[in-house]
Amino acid sequence: MPELSVTDLSKELRSAIQSLEVTGDLESVGIVTRVGDGVAWVYGLRSAGYSEVLQIETRDGVVEAFALNLNEDEIGAVLLGGDESVSAGNKVTLKGTVLDVPVGEELLGRVVDPLGKPLDGGPAIKTKERGLVEREAIGVLGRKHVHEPMMTGIVAIDAMFPIGRGQRELIIGDRQTGKTAIAIDTMINQGRQKTGVVNIYVAIGQKLSKIARLVERLKEEGVMDQTIIVATGPSDPASLLYLAPYAATAMGEYFRDNKKHALIIYDDLTKHAVAYRQMSLLLRRPPGREAFPGDVFYLHSRLLERSAKLSDSLGAGSLTALPIIETQAGDISAYIPTNVISITDGQIFMETDLFNQGIRPAISAGLSVSRVGGDAQTKSVKSVGSHLKLGLSQFRELASFAQFGSDLDEATKSQIERGQRLTELLKQHQYSPMGVWEQVASIYAVNNGSFDKVSIAKIKEAQTALLTRLWTDHKKEMQELTKGDEKIADDSASAKIIDKVAKAVAKGFEE
Amino acid sequence: MAGARLSRRKIAAYFADELLAGRNVTKPLAAYLVEAKRIRESTLVIRDIEAALSERGVLLADIASSRELTKDTEDTITTYLKSATGVKSVHLRTEVDESLLGGVRIETPGTRLDNTVRERLRKLQQLRSTN
Repeated sequence: MPELSVTDLSKELRSAIQSLEVTGDLESVGIVTRVGDGVAWVYGLRSAGYSEVLQIETRDGVVEAFALNLNEDEIGAVLLGGDESVSAGNKVTLKGTVLDVPVGEELLGRVVDPLGKPLDGGPAIKTKERGLVEREAIGVLGRKHVHEPMMTGIVAIDAMFPIGRGQRELIIGDRQTGKTAIAIDTMINQGRQKTGVVNIYVAIGQKLSKIARLVERLKEEGVMDQTIIVATGPSDPASLLYLAPYAATAMGEYFRDNKKHALIIYDDLTKHAVAYRQMSLLLRRPPGREAFPGDVFYLHSRLLERSAKLSDSLGAGSLTALPIIETQAGDISAYIPTNVISITDGQIFMETDLFNQGIRPAISAGLSVSRVGGDAQTKSVKSVGSHLKLGLSQFRELASFAQFGSDLDEATKSQIERGQRLTELLKQHQYSPMGVWEQVASIYAVNNGSFDKVSIAKIKEAQTALLTRLWTDHKKEMQELTKGDEKIADDSASAKIIDKVAKAVAKGFEE
Repeated sequence: MAGARLSRRKIAAYFADELLAGRNVTKPLAAYLVEAKRIRESTLVIRDIEAALSERGVLLADIASSRELTKDTEDTITTYLKSATGVKSVHLRTEVDESLLGGVRIETPGTRLDNTVRERLRKLQQLRSTN
């Protein structure tokens, strides 16, 4: 700000006093009649539009709000930020726009709030473009079917419930079952496999300590520079929790619309629905089932429809969504879970029982589904994974007979033993996503029977030994395999190599 | 519908029409507000009636300035308001407030134009504090 000299100021004042010229325009103005619980009720502003941004002139500066209740006599506006400085009698003007957030590559590596303000202590976010928080989803003609794989690095998912670019796959389960862990591993895998996919993690009402740990872990794994984190804590106003997923989707749409691929994780939508319920009840909208407002389905459907795979004419970019829902006592037929299940293209169901038994990731092979399936699966993984699901489902049927042990016929016994080995194989440590060749080799070795004599407790060790030996002795073939185009038939070269090495390794772990 | 709350907009529309027809509205309005136990809303109802009148071509504007306005200035303002809002007749209510330092503030139902020096200084100060 250049310093105003006293002479300049007095000249301005004098000319202002002398010329009582009317300059400027009459601007629409309203007045706050009451405020509380994050909602300001405004008299006037009859020309305000739905979701338009209002600017409230308080003694501490301008506080923004957006108009959600357009009643006959007043407007109910939800405050973006605290309501401490807003008081009755404050003047309110229209900003003239709806909510928008900064979007662009400048956001990569940053932790921001839903309005684009930095939370990581770094410099202010300056971007060339801004994206609308509320935007219509792409129409039918603008889309292409999902045909590219989105590798999570988790064997159970990539083999049995493959996710494709542009798909929405729900991760659903009780608290502490490893839902966020799957999302984090997927993000890490995009970095490890250098897929170029941009990660966006939306923390909706998550503990700030959890978000801080996540940021540290992503930095350690070297993935933070291709990640954007939109964070809201439990003590943030409900309006920010409500906006967070939409703002983050706007950031993801930037990449989708510019021929790139992005992955967005909503953690979690249950808290999002609860925040929206709080806002709706305070806006005096009538409560419906479980006190949720009537449009809670629309809340999530319009959010998730924006994740799509675009047609070639629009650049063939994609935005893949992994929404997370927390259930109570495994009840997936409750209100919000059923809503989101019907919107997404499949779900990964995490079970507490499996988790407690030590099967982690605790993915229920019976209840999980991917409605996109084969098209989006890497060819090589598909060729070995097709038998995996069948083997596991047969094992589940016979599992109760396992206790009979020696009283069973050979066929049943071998099926049970194979199933136990497959289950053991699918266990995976956190933060260790596996690449294509590792998944293919592991599954093929067990499915083919090479590990049939290995004791179940030693399967993971045998797997590690197999992968180490394959990488040292046959690196070139494994690198070829990672490209994913090869179908592993029993007579293919890679299959023979894996078979040979697996049998050799198995000898060291036999019971 | 009996017992449902009548919106202020509807009340204002009715009373604005009555005013323009030349009838006295003070007593009937006061009586309604007391009967319906809506005395708290009296200020807002009056604003709503002014808004309804402006929709019907009669504008009531509050002009605040630091010194007494000349007749010429008042005419300028009236002409400006007629062209800006498209109303047929304008009634000005003037107020002198020396703390405005200069310039003029025009307030109509639902809009405002603040050209006072005090407001310009306040905006300058706000710009400085956000920078």
